[in-house]
Amino acid sequence: MIVSIKDSVKLFGISIMTCCAVTVCNMFLNYYLDLTAIAGLIDNPYAQMFYDAQIMTSKVVCAVSGGCLAITTVVMLFFYIKHYIDSHSKEIGILKALGYSNFKIAKGFSVFGLSVFLGCFVGYLLSFALMPQFYELQNKDGYLPELSIGFHWILFFLLVIAPTLVFALIAVCNSLLKLRQPCVNLLKGIVKIKGKTKNTKDKKTFVAEMRSSVLRSRKTLVFFIAFSSFCFSAMIQMSASMKDLSSEMMGLMMLIIGVVLAFTTLYIAVTTVIRSNQKNIAMMRVFGYDSADCKRSVLDGYRPAAYIGFIIGSVYQYALLRIMVDIVFSGVEGIPEYAFDFLMFFITLAVFIVVYEGVMFAYGQSMKKYR
Amino acid sequence: MIEINDLTKYYGKAESRFKALDGVSVRINDGEFIVILGASGSGKSTFLNVISGLETPDGGCVAYDSQELGNMSEKDLTKFRRENTAYIFQQYYLLPHLNVEKNVRMGADLDNNKDYLKYIEAVGLSDKRRKFPSELSGGEQQRVAIARALAKNPKVLFLDEPTGALDEETGRQVLDYIIRLHEEQGFTMIMVTHNGNIAETADRIIKMNSGKIVSVTENTDKKTA
Ligand SMILES: Nc1ncnc2c1ncn2[C@@H]1O[C@H](COP(=O)(O)OP(=O)(O)OP(=O)(O)O)[C@@H](O)[C@H]1O
Ligand SMILES: [Mg+2]
Repeated sequence: MIVSIKDSVKLFGISIMTCCAVTVCNMFLNYYLDLTAIAGLIDNPYAQMFYDAQIMTSKVVCAVSGGCLAITTVVMLFFYIKHYIDSHSKEIGILKALGYSNFKIAKGFSVFGLSVFLGCFVGYLLSFALMPQFYELQNKDGYLPELSIGFHWILFFLLVIAPTLVFALIAVCNSLLKLRQPCVNLLKGIVKIKGKTKNTKDKKTFVAEMRSSVLRSRKTLVFFIAFSSFCFSAMIQMSASMKDLSSEMMGLMMLIIGVVLAFTTLYIAVTTVIRSNQKNIAMMRVFGYDSADCKRSVLDGYRPAAYIGFIIGSVYQYALLRIMVDIVFSGVEGIPEYAFDFLMFFITLAVFIVVYEGVMFAYGQSMKKYR
Repeated sequence: MIEINDLTKYYGKAESRFKALDGVSVRINDGEFIVILGASGSGKSTFLNVISGLETPDGGCVAYDSQELGNMSEKDLTKFRRENTAYIFQQYYLLPHLNVEKNVRMGADLDNNKDYLKYIEAVGLSDKRRKFPSELSGGEQQRVAIARALAKNPKVLFLDEPTGALDEETGRQVLDYIIRLHEEQGFTMIMVTHNGNIAETADRIIKMNSGKIVSVTENTDKKTA
C-alpha cells in the first residue's frame, strides 16, 4: 500500500512528543490516583493542606503539559499527513484512477497510529521507571503517609490505547478529507494557486517571484514553521520558569522535556520545508543558480514567519504562566513572584537563532552536492 | 569544443548493476548540431546528463575547451552552467507554482535577458503567458520548457526529445525556430530524438545502442531550416 511502516517511523518526532507527554502525565496521574486512595488516612490540617496543594499541582501539570503536547502532536500529525498527500499526490492519483476507493487509500494512513503507540508505550514504561524517585521526592518531608506505587489499568488505556486509536482515526479522517478531490488534480499534482500574479508584479525578478510564490503555494508550511518556533520559544521559556515555580527535580524534568520537544519540532519543521522544496532547488541548480540564490529564493522567505512565531511564543508562555500563578495558584502559599524572565528570553532567542540559521546554513551548504 | 572520452556510467549496485554507458568517446565542435538516435533505453538521456555535468560518470571524462568537468569545484560548475548550458528535459520539469512568464524568466534572468517575451511568442504561447503549468497541455508545457532554455542564450543547448509531445506541424515550427536561432547565434546543439526527419537537419548523427555509440555519420546533404 501507499503508506508503509517505514513512513510511520519517519514520524519519530510524534513519537518523541507523545512519549514526553505520556511520561509526564502518567507520573502525575498515577501519583494523583494513589494520592486520592489515601485521602482517608490524612489526619491533621497541615497534611491536608499539603495534600490539596499536591493534588492541585498534579492536575495543573497534567492539563498544561498534557494539553500543550497533545495539541502540538495533533498539529504535527495533520501537517505531516497533508504534506505526505501533497508530495505523493501522483501515486495516490494513480491508485484512484485504477479504482481504489478513497477509504481504501485512507485506511493505509492509520499506520501513523503506530508512531503514536510507540511513543505512548515507551513514555508509559519510562514514567514507571522514574516513579519511585518521583514519589519519594514529592513526599520527602514526610507529611503524608507512606505511598506505594499502584498500577492503574485505566491510565494504561487512557494514555496508551486511546491515543493510538484516536490518532489513527484522525489520520484516516484527515486523509479522507484530503482525498476528496478530482483524480486528475491529484495526478497532475495541481497546486492550488490563489491570488494569481498581477500585472504590477511583473517587474519582479525570478528569484523574488520564486520566493513569494513558494510561500503562497505552501501556506501551511509557513504556518508550520511559525508554529514550531512558537513551540520552541514557549516550551523552553516555560519550562525554565516552571523550575522556579515548582520543585527542583520537576523543573529540571520540564526543562529537559521542553528542550527535547523544542528541538524536535524545529528540526521537523525545517527539514520539511527543505524536503518539500527539493525539486525546485534541483531545477534551479541545473540552470546554474548557485546555492545562495536557491537559499534566498526558497528558504529565506520562511524567516519572518519563524521569528514572528518565536515572539508570539514568548508572549503566550508569559500570559499562560501569569494566569496560572494569579488564578490557579492564588490561594497556595510559597509560590514565588512571577515576572517575565528577560535573561531567559534572550538566551532562548540566541539558541533559536543559532539552531534555525545553523540548520538553514548547513542545508545551504549541502545544496552544493546537487551538482 | 566538447571532448568526451571513454565515458562509463553504471546504475544500481552489485548483481543488479547495469552499464548504462559503455566506453563512449566523441568530439563535438563548437556550433555543431548533433542528433542522437537510438532505441528506448539505449542510454541517450544518460549520455546527455553526463556530458552536461548533471551526472558524474563512473569512468572517463568530459572536457569543454580543455576544461574538465570532473575537476571543477561546485562553484566553478555552477558558474559554468550559468554561463554555458541550457537543458530541455524529456519530462519538462517546469516549476509548478510559477506561471509561464516566470518560468521563462528563470532562464532569462541568468543572462540578464530582458527580451524574454519574444521566446514566448516564438513558441506560440503569448496569450497563455499568465497560465500555470498545470493549466497547460503537455505540448504547451514542452514549449514553455523550450522557451525557458532558449531565453538563457546558452552556448550549448541540450535537448532530450524536445518535440516528443508536439504534433507534426507544431513540432516542425518550434524546431525550425530553434534551428534558426542556432544558425543565427551559433550555439552548439545536442539533441536526442526518435524522429528521423529531424536528423536530416543535423550536422552529425550519433547512433547509440546498449550504452555504446554504434555509428557517427556526417550529414553531407544537410537540409537547412
Ligand atoms: N537512475 C537509474 N537507475 C537505474 N537505471 C537507470 C537509471 N536511469 C536510467 N537507467 C537505465 O539506463 C538505461 C538507459 O537509460 P536512458 O534514460 O539513458 O535511456 P534513453 O536512451 O534515454 O531511453 P528513452 O528513449 O526511452 O528515453 C535504461 O535501461 C534505464 O533502465
Ligand atoms: Mg530518454
